Amino acid sequence: MATQTTPPSQSNVIGRSVARIDGPLKTTGTAQYAADFHFPNMAHAVPVQSTIASGRIEKLDAAAAQSMPGVLLVLHHGNMDKLYRVVPNDFSATTSEARPPFEDRTIYYWGQYVAVVVAETLEQATAAAAAVKVEYSQTPAKLSTNLGDYAGKRPSVSQRGDAEKAFAAAPIKVDQTYVTPAETHNPIEMHATVAAWEGDSVTLYETSQGVVNHRYAMAQVLGIPRENVTVVTRFLGSGFGGKLFPWPHSALAAVASRRLQRPVKLSVNRTMMFSNVGHRPLCEQRFQLGATTDGKLLSLRQDYINHTSLIDDIDEGCGEATTYLYSVPSLTVTRALAQRNVGTPSPMRGPGAVPGLFAMESAMDELAVALNMDPVELRLRNDATKDESNGQPFSSRHLKECIETGAAKFGWKQRTPAVGSMRRDGRVLGWGMAAASWGAYRFPCAATVALEVDGRVTVRCATQDVGTGTYTIFAQVLQEKTGLPFERIGVHLGDTSMPEGPMSGGSWATASVLPAVSSAADSVVKTLLQVANSTAGSPFAGVDPAKLQLTAGRVHQAGEPAETGVPFEKLIAMARLSRISADGNTTAIFEDPKAKGLSLHSFGAQFVEVEWEPQIARLRVSRVVTVIDGGRIINPKAAANQIKGAVVMGVGMGLLEQTVYDPRTGQPINGNMADYLMATCPDTPEIDVTFLDYPDLAMGEYGARGIGEIGLAGVAPAIASAVYHATGVRVRTLPVRIEDLLQSRIREA
Amino acid sequence: MAEKPTLREDQQLLDLEPLGQIGSEASASGGQLTRRTFLSGLGAAGLVASAGPLSAAAAPMGQAEGAAGAHTVLTVNGEQHDLGMLDTRVTLLDALRERLYLTGTKKGCDHGQCGACTVHVDGRRVNSCLTLAVMVSGKEITTIEGLGVPGRLHPMQAAFVEHDGYQCGYCTSGQIMSAVALLKEPVGPSDHDVKEGMAGNICRCGAYPNIVAAFQQVRNHSTMNG
Repeated sequence: MATQTTPPSQSNVIGRSVARIDGPLKTTGTAQYAADFHFPNMAHAVPVQSTIASGRIEKLDAAAAQSMPGVLLVLHHGNMDKLYRVVPNDFSATTSEARPPFEDRTIYYWGQYVAVVVAETLEQATAAAAAVKVEYSQTPAKLSTNLGDYAGKRPSVSQRGDAEKAFAAAPIKVDQTYVTPAETHNPIEMHATVAAWEGDSVTLYETSQGVVNHRYAMAQVLGIPRENVTVVTRFLGSGFGGKLFPWPHSALAAVASRRLQRPVKLSVNRTMMFSNVGHRPLCEQRFQLGATTDGKLLSLRQDYINHTSLIDDIDEGCGEATTYLYSVPSLTVTRALAQRNVGTPSPMRGPGAVPGLFAMESAMDELAVALNMDPVELRLRNDATKDESNGQPFSSRHLKECIETGAAKFGWKQRTPAVGSMRRDGRVLGWGMAAASWGAYRFPCAATVALEVDGRVTVRCATQDVGTGTYTIFAQVLQEKTGLPFERIGVHLGDTSMPEGPMSGGSWATASVLPAVSSAADSVVKTLLQVANSTAGSPFAGVDPAKLQLTAGRVHQAGEPAETGVPFEKLIAMARLSRISADGNTTAIFEDPKAKGLSLHSFGAQFVEVEWEPQIARLRVSRVVTVIDGGRIINPKAAANQIKGAVVMGVGMGLLEQTVYDPRTGQPINGNMADYLMATCPDTPEIDVTFLDYPDLAMGEYGARGIGEIGLAGVAPAIASAVYHATGVRVRTLPVRIEDLLQSRIREA
Repeated sequence: MAEKPTLREDQQLLDLEPLGQIGSEASASGGQLTRRTFLSGLGAAGLVASAGPLSAAAAPMGQAEGAAGAHTVLTVNGEQHDLGMLDTRVTLLDALRERLYLTGTKKGCDHGQCGACTVHVDGRRVNSCLTLAVMVSGKEITTIEGLGVPGRLHPMQAAFVEHDGYQCGYCTSGQIMSAVALLKEPVGPSDHDVKEGMAGNICRCGAYPNIVAAFQQVRNHSTMNG
């Protein structure tokens, strides 16, 4: 562990491992997720999906469905309410798909909603949805997974020096193409909307990673004032980016509910999860690295292309981490999009950086092999001392320490570089490593903190807990500021009637909420001490508030023990108040003078061991050491869990995950959880997580940067490099498949 | 039937419900159909002898919600719920969630692939999404709500809190129900054994190491206490 710096206060709750305050709710089934909401007279909606990927609806016959038992309504293009688009590039009101549902008769992808059936029960709606008859005229669908034949423009993303010339002159070269497949987020909680109107206003119980954006966007889509939309996400069954922005089913539920004047529940099913609510797009990246014979990078060129839908241009941003991770004088990054008849892609954990780093760190490993150099040494030789894409210093960069710490913990010194040269218990071992990085962001947030007359302190904020432990982080700050135990702290999130908070995405929720709740708590304590001073009958009447303080829930004279003081709720009662509350705000990082001119990023290193049993072609990831430089860690217990979970997801990305579109129909042919393989409990390796825990004070007083995505970055390339080390097979197209490894010359362990 | 069906040896060994005393099973489940009695029924006397619940499913059409209905009484967490003539298409999962409002049991896939809907039927873990409600009429069903409540947690629930055996919490009910059932199953002592025993419950957040730690703590604690 790195040296600890003094925390911002005497309290030690910040940075301490604490059990989540919502644990008892989550473990008893008491936590309410969107689809758990029930209302009297609620109806159930089931969408009908297109069975073609490209074409036009010629005829839609809902008569049979309409006459089935319990059916209340069948909505489709022919009878849908008017819906609107959101303003393009308005990031305060973003939808995932620009096109509202049923806008026209055109089919853009397999699974597109063509109708929705609403009935008294889920079973009735499901049966009737299957009875809606749709006739299509088909047009040829663009479904090729080969993006290499792209001949269009490749706009520049970043440029310095002359990468082409430097590459041509470089004595050591790597020039390879890497492919990462379409991946599906697959949170276990399927997307759902429960819509309930009251007059002209609607409440949407949602699976949303951003209730505030959801509210703004749905107000535009429905064409009603913002104040007429309330969005509630009390608990969220994760999202990994798939639940950042509204998808079309939300509008379907809202319209159905308005038509029927009844609450309506629409839960997307697992098949729809693969086609209608986003995915990480297929990416193809050509990497050209030029280096000196002693391993100094001379040039780097990355040309990436990703598929997108016909409806939306979604750039995966594979250059996210390319431009600043290493020192290289000449660099070119270009991007391109290839339209395919698939649903609209959406950010998935570490968008851009995660596929980008698979390619770059794989290329770095290939360069190390070409140089006959230790891959750790190659990274250390090319460490950057400033952000060479813009000349800015890093706010806090400890990549070198991540790599060195990881190497020491992993036992990297024992590695012998020859392919297939390491053995244990009758298995071939492969050791690989990769660097990781992700940006650090902070967005505006407002929060209200209140000291209540019942002796509790509460905070309200319209952000949400995606599963990372946001509820608990709010409670930790309140405990630090008031000294109250968690039992007397109330955290209220996930409702747009509260002050506006950030999305849970981009690893920025923690950094965004901390300043708001901290400053609100400071203000409320200040007001309390003034009340203590000004209230008749208060033992501190007339005492200078600057000489008072709040400790363990008691107001007392500074310098005196807390026990000599008065419980704050007594002072509030004496003043005949229900509560003392105050608002706090966070400003965006790009408006903060303290962060001006600084390059803000998190860093990490991944070390992976694989076991290869050539006799039976069995590959396992057995051990992972992860070191993260993510700023100050607020709750190490939840943070380590999150990093371990990201490593597990990385095992899936490396060895298992791939959404396969049927080339004839465009249907995600493995669109279920038995055929789309994700890491399960037995796939979990031994995982060792270390946080360097250097506060990044450019981010705020607590120095937290956020860790949601970085744990996944670098895992897949470290696996692929370990696989090469064990088998001699360089896999450049994920996932690593047993079929690839059958080419290995290592036949015995 | 023209020929009495016979099982190959490997089919007779098939046992996906490795719980309980085999000899007493038929009486314990009230003579109703379980996978084991179904299979042994095939081997011994053919299908007819164990077809009780199937005839219940063939109740008159059109009485419940416009579809085939069967009188269904569910015993959930010790409480009897008369669901009347229940649409026979209703799964146990949807009966719990949409009829009894016991929403602690979660739907993750509806295909028996993720384990989020795991409940206990007569003490065994089952995927409630693959179980029609009429099949378990009269059986003892336990859901996460029947295990413990905030302030009075079951040891497994408390261990999940202590070990942070979740992140988003959505798969957690299923994980805990699975883990509690696994305590009574013949599972080996190592972490690897526990991982295999928990393989049917997917946690996309990847809290597996902490789930295994929670299970091991509860098991070791109960072993210590005899």
